[in-house]
Amino acid sequence: MLKRKSDVFLFYILANIFILAILLGHAFFERKRSQPFLMQRISMILHYQLTDLCLFTDARYTRHPSMADMNTAFQDHPFSFEHFPSGSLVTPPVHIRNNHGLD
Amino acid sequence: MAWIEKQRNILDFALSSLVRRWGKNLALVMVYTVIVFVLASILFMTHSIKREASLILRGSPEIVVQRILAGRHDLTPGRYIEKLAKIPGVREVKGRLWGYYYEPSTGANYTMIVTDEHRENVGTIAIGAGVARSSDVREGDMIPFRSSDGSYVSFEVTGVLTPESELVASDVIEVSERDFRSLFAMPEGYFTDLTLKVRNRKEVVVVADKIRRLLPDTRPILRDEILRTYDAIFDWRSGLLIVVFTGAILAFSIFSWDKATSLSFEEKKEMGVLKAVGWETSEVIAMKSWEGIVVSLTSFLLGVILAYMHVFFGSSILFMPVLKGWSVLYPHFKLVPYVDPYQLAALFFLTVVPYTAATIIPSWRAAIIDPDSVMRL
Amino acid sequence: MIELQRVTKVFNKGNSNEFVAVDDISLTIDPADISVLKGPSGAGKTTVLSVIGAMTKPTEGRVFIDGREITSLPERFLTGIRRKTFGFIFQQFNLIKGITALENVMIPSYPSGEKHSSLKKRAMDLLQILSLSGKAMSKIEWLSGGEAQRVAIARALINNPEIIIADEPTAHLDTKLSEEFIGIMAALNKEGKGVVIASHDPLIYGAKVVDTVVEIRDGRIVDKEERL
Repeated sequence: MLKRKSDVFLFYILANIFILAILLGHAFFERKRSQPFLMQRISMILHYQLTDLCLFTDARYTRHPSMADMNTAFQDHPFSFEHFPSGSLVTPPVHIRNNHGLD
Repeated sequence: MAWIEKQRNILDFALSSLVRRWGKNLALVMVYTVIVFVLASILFMTHSIKREASLILRGSPEIVVQRILAGRHDLTPGRYIEKLAKIPGVREVKGRLWGYYYEPSTGANYTMIVTDEHRENVGTIAIGAGVARSSDVREGDMIPFRSSDGSYVSFEVTGVLTPESELVASDVIEVSERDFRSLFAMPEGYFTDLTLKVRNRKEVVVVADKIRRLLPDTRPILRDEILRTYDAIFDWRSGLLIVVFTGAILAFSIFSWDKATSLSFEEKKEMGVLKAVGWETSEVIAMKSWEGIVVSLTSFLLGVILAYMHVFFGSSILFMPVLKGWSVLYPHFKLVPYVDPYQLAALFFLTVVPYTAATIIPSWRAAIIDPDSVMRL
Repeated sequence: MIELQRVTKVFNKGNSNEFVAVDDISLTIDPADISVLKGPSGAGKTTVLSVIGAMTKPTEGRVFIDGREITSLPERFLTGIRRKTFGFIFQQFNLIKGITALENVMIPSYPSGEKHSSLKKRAMDLLQILSLSGKAMSKIEWLSGGEAQRVAIARALINNPEIIIADEPTAHLDTKLSEEFIGIMAALNKEGKGVVIASHDPLIYGAKVVDTVVEIRDGRIVDKEERL
């Protein structure tokens, strides 16, 4: 059946698109499936009155970025390499950047 | 249907032409795939985290009030609660007790929190799944904590939080108020900070303004600001990964630009032959475009599929060394795949379209040569 | 019938390296004949050939194919006419390396949108006629000079043209292969195809099967010999 190069290529592309469609389907059902867990996380946020996701635990300004201030050690602008690598991914909170920590 | 047959014929030739220089083209596809893979991985990961944050952080306090002393957080006196409660529009003010505990034996940082429910359960703690993992404890075990005076106090673990909650509370230790105060020698009547509930959401900004005037030594942090903070986190432009990766993207751009724009003598001659044997300019360009589409589409699809598997099945394992950084307690969470066709479309236009365009322009210039030029070579 | 009326072709017109390749040539080619353009290299044979084959437009003068004036047609139409009317064999054969003999033969017909299976069958038939069926799947660079020549002929024939145009086809061939070439051309001519060859090889213009020899020198016709 796949005698021509173009057939092989088109088959390959279709197979890829098919896999991609399956993955999008997976994403859809996974979102459905995780709905209760999402609720659980929201209730935990309410319970602990948390303000941040638990992504990086290495420094206090990366654990609770929104509770950080300008004077926290090593908290530089994201573009500068710094002590804690995750600090490069976490930007200073908006309210600090906007007000230069003055409020 | 002659048009389709024609394009398939031209595609046949384009593929033959690519296969002929297979070494170079395979290298190109591989590098291209890696680029798409990394870009797509970052996009999937950051988008999912942002989406998750924007959904669940709606549950966080509307206003947090921190007391600032000489530019640093300081304990908030309990009497501020009554002052704030009197502001019109404020529904509820609560003192929050929380802090960090560094565990020297494991090197991990924990977040200690006092909740209303746990306030009275003296001597016991509930821990996040990450804490249980890093200090290898189960329900019923005792964990010693080093208090501020240097002595050790042990607490019984009465609960471990579910793995599904790791994204928010992996490092949390829930402790009673009395234990918290004695462990950190925190004076009675003081809190870490205060949280406010506001009657009307529209009044949040007004209330914050009033707080600033009423208690000039405090700083109100609004939930909307927190949400915006998370929107800015992992911004496309920010972050170590992107910075390091920019170099790779630039290198690839130069490489592909060179490959796509400068046709070799051999290729130019071939285009002359095609014109001489009766191909139109547009057909020669179509052939070159197919070459570009084959390379970029192959890389795009492969890169996206691998990225999806990497992020959502493999927990972004390749990025972990960077993300993990110095932390000992690393939250294990499976991201919910918030992937939609728009993201894929954006990625498509960022990767496939520029490359294909870059191949068409130079071939257009080469394809308009006179067909007889090949006779004059 | 192909008719050139007072055709002049100037390259790099207006520049310091301006060069008149063809100077006021009028010529009629009978598509039933084997015609040879003879003359030393640089005489303008190749340019006359490409004007005849609608590959290039003359700077001045007009070209008619079967009474239809083609000099003023836009490129698209010209390509169509070229594809249907002419099959080209180039001096270096200009086969595309790295792909098979079969694909090389099929290339001129790709844009026609013909069904792949029928196109492939026609190409295989042509290769068989030229006793190359065993080499169909061989890459061009693996073929001998004689085989490559026959692939080039097959490629010129794939669109079933009325006229075959060959530019110095024997320049890189030995006597045996040159004779084989003119033999194939004679056979094709017998089947009703016209042949126009530019050559300064006596083996070609001296061959018995040639009907007309036009001698060109410095872009002008200096002699025309019609053999009966």
